[in-house]
Amino acid sequence: MDEVKLELSAVDDFAVREHRSLWGDAWRRLIANRTAMIGLVVVAIFLLSATLAHFFWEYEPKMDLDYGAKLLPPQLVATEEIDVHLFGTDKLGRDIFRRTVHGGWNSLRVGLVAVGISLTIGGFLGLLAGFFESINMNFWESLTLMTVLGLAMGALPAWIARQYFQMVLFAALGASSVIVSRYVEEANKFRRFAFPAAGALIGGLSGWLVGGMVALVCGILGLIIGFLLAKPVGGDLFSNVVMRVMDVILSFPSYLLAIAIVAFLGPGLEKGMIAIGIVGIPVYARLARSAVLSVSKKEYVLASQSVGESHGRMLFRHIVPNILSPIIVQATMGLASAILSAAALGFLGLGAIPPEPEWGAMLGDSYKYLSSGAWWAVLFPGLAIMLSVLGFNLLGDGLRDALDPKIRL
Amino acid sequence: MDELLRIKNLKTRFHTQDGVVNAVNGISYQLEKGEVLGVVGESGCGKSVHALSIMRLIQIPPGEISDGEIWFENRDLLTLSENQMRRVRGRDIAMVFQDPMSSLNPVLKVGFQIVEALRLHTDLNPKAAKDRAAELLSLVGIPEPYKRLDNYPHQFSGGMRQRAMIAMALSCEPKLLIADEPTTALDVTIQAQIVDLVIKLQENFGMSIMWITHDLGIVAEMAHKINVMYAGYIIESGSAQDIFKRTRHPYTMGLLGSLPKIDEEPGTKLLSIPGLPPDLLRLPKGCPFYARCNYREDHCKEEMPELEDTDKNGHLVACWRWEEILAGEIT
Repeated sequence: MDEVKLELSAVDDFAVREHRSLWGDAWRRLIANRTAMIGLVVVAIFLLSATLAHFFWEYEPKMDLDYGAKLLPPQLVATEEIDVHLFGTDKLGRDIFRRTVHGGWNSLRVGLVAVGISLTIGGFLGLLAGFFESINMNFWESLTLMTVLGLAMGALPAWIARQYFQMVLFAALGASSVIVSRYVEEANKFRRFAFPAAGALIGGLSGWLVGGMVALVCGILGLIIGFLLAKPVGGDLFSNVVMRVMDVILSFPSYLLAIAIVAFLGPGLEKGMIAIGIVGIPVYARLARSAVLSVSKKEYVLASQSVGESHGRMLFRHIVPNILSPIIVQATMGLASAILSAAALGFLGLGAIPPEPEWGAMLGDSYKYLSSGAWWAVLFPGLAIMLSVLGFNLLGDGLRDALDPKIRL
Repeated sequence: MDELLRIKNLKTRFHTQDGVVNAVNGISYQLEKGEVLGVVGESGCGKSVHALSIMRLIQIPPGEISDGEIWFENRDLLTLSENQMRRVRGRDIAMVFQDPMSSLNPVLKVGFQIVEALRLHTDLNPKAAKDRAAELLSLVGIPEPYKRLDNYPHQFSGGMRQRAMIAMALSCEPKLLIADEPTTALDVTIQAQIVDLVIKLQENFGMSIMWITHDLGIVAEMAHKINVMYAGYIIESGSAQDIFKRTRHPYTMGLLGSLPKIDEEPGTKLLSIPGLPPDLLRLPKGCPFYARCNYREDHCKEEMPELEDTDKNGHLVACWRWEEILAGEIT
């Protein structure tokens, strides 16, 4: 390539603006926003105190018992008989300050893990749904999708018959559907009968190993699965199915669904995290899908495709960074509602198992003593819930303003 | 000259809720190496869709390339696998888009985007790729290229972004550059700069260019050959001289007639072609221009005219009555 001399003087305006990266810019705007800073400070205090307490302030809830000091009001100065109880003590004489701080670790952990679950699963599903709604699936993507679908759908008859190798066979059926439609001419006539038949065979025969009735049920299920797997699922259909499933989850009242899931899984902090996480999935799936849909219509995505980029790079290099800001905002706000849900579960006795400290459970333990004047046992855990939720909400609001490129300051 | 691209009977459709949109209806032409082809026509006449079809960037469904062959260097692009096609995109055929404001990714540095395009198709190491990207930026007339590589798109003006896009498109020295209305979103002085730049680069790299536009002035200046499209058909094709001086098709005449002249009296009404292009959902059986044509006769309504070589020298016209019109027998 030879050098081409161009008159640079003719070139249009070259005024260099100050160099700012997207995130640096957003950070600057966040700092300038006073309410957001209040939120950030509150959140930071909670996160810091909970983490520090967990690692450096030993607390053994099972050993914490002092009937002599039960339901004491806040005591700021130590006397001969009584220790300092900043927030008072509860019905078992446990220091409420200590339990509130340690409970923060549990509550925040539930919030973070639950949002993590919702964000990963929901975000991933939404990402794929939106992406394949706007960009054609290639052979390998289609193959992966159909294999996973076969595996997932095969789980039901496999579970009924307790013959888990069935899942593998159904996965193979799904994969072969893609291969057939690519390599076999006149695939339409062939697969309409062959796939349901093969599905019924897989289900029926492996059910036969268990018993006649099981064989029948599994055979019918196999037939349906074979019918569904006969044609490779396109991006449109995939997105539709995923989003309708999300709609179904969303149509349940969220607390009710979380309670139902905990009832199924059994109580416990970890189960609570999973329940709240599952309930939150549709929110992120919808958000991610709609954001991907709007971004993938942008010309730079077409441009990246026109230089020969792979789908993976298009998705993760070009689309994901552009949809990150609404997702970050939603996740921050989601933390607040997850903490609230965790407290609700705890209050109902479905979250943390006593004597494990957790804000909601502490409320549930102590509200009965409100009538006998022990306001402190309810006030401080309640205040902790309120402040942390407020903090995350303020921060989320601020982040939304800071990350919205339409209101550049 | 050697042939680079030959399109045979390309048909692209979109299946929508309202029915089938016939966007491209069987176009055929060829493009030589080093040739500059102008594709002109009004909005919605299939210019961009046919370019996207060549790149196989049509979304399927709803789109469908229902018929035809696209021969590029003795390979039919329509029969390649997606992976083979990815290697063609960017390396053999590159594309510049209409709106420079949205064709660069706002969250990635300009340099990163050029380097990425380079590293996809060459085995340059990161350092060499960066040097090459800077070289490309200076080639398209952006000063201080190394500094500019670290800029984000919003720090570029519209003209600079289009230059950056061109640099990106040229990064792997493609054999064919498809420019899809690259100057439409720019103001006139910058349009002229971009056109000059592309002409210079074309002379330098020797690539072929397909310049899609609705601005007749631009193609008059740079194109060796011009295809005039209407409702998904090529209705006239020939050299710039053929199209502008020896216009044969009534639609092209209408297009040229509707250009404002600089020596016109102020206040003179602009001429326009009455009516609208046909609905692509319900294409007429005969000539698509029938409803708006001044020279129509009943036969035009019944049968679509084929492209016909009018001077045995590649000036093609699809009109039943071009000979009569040429002879001045009808007005």
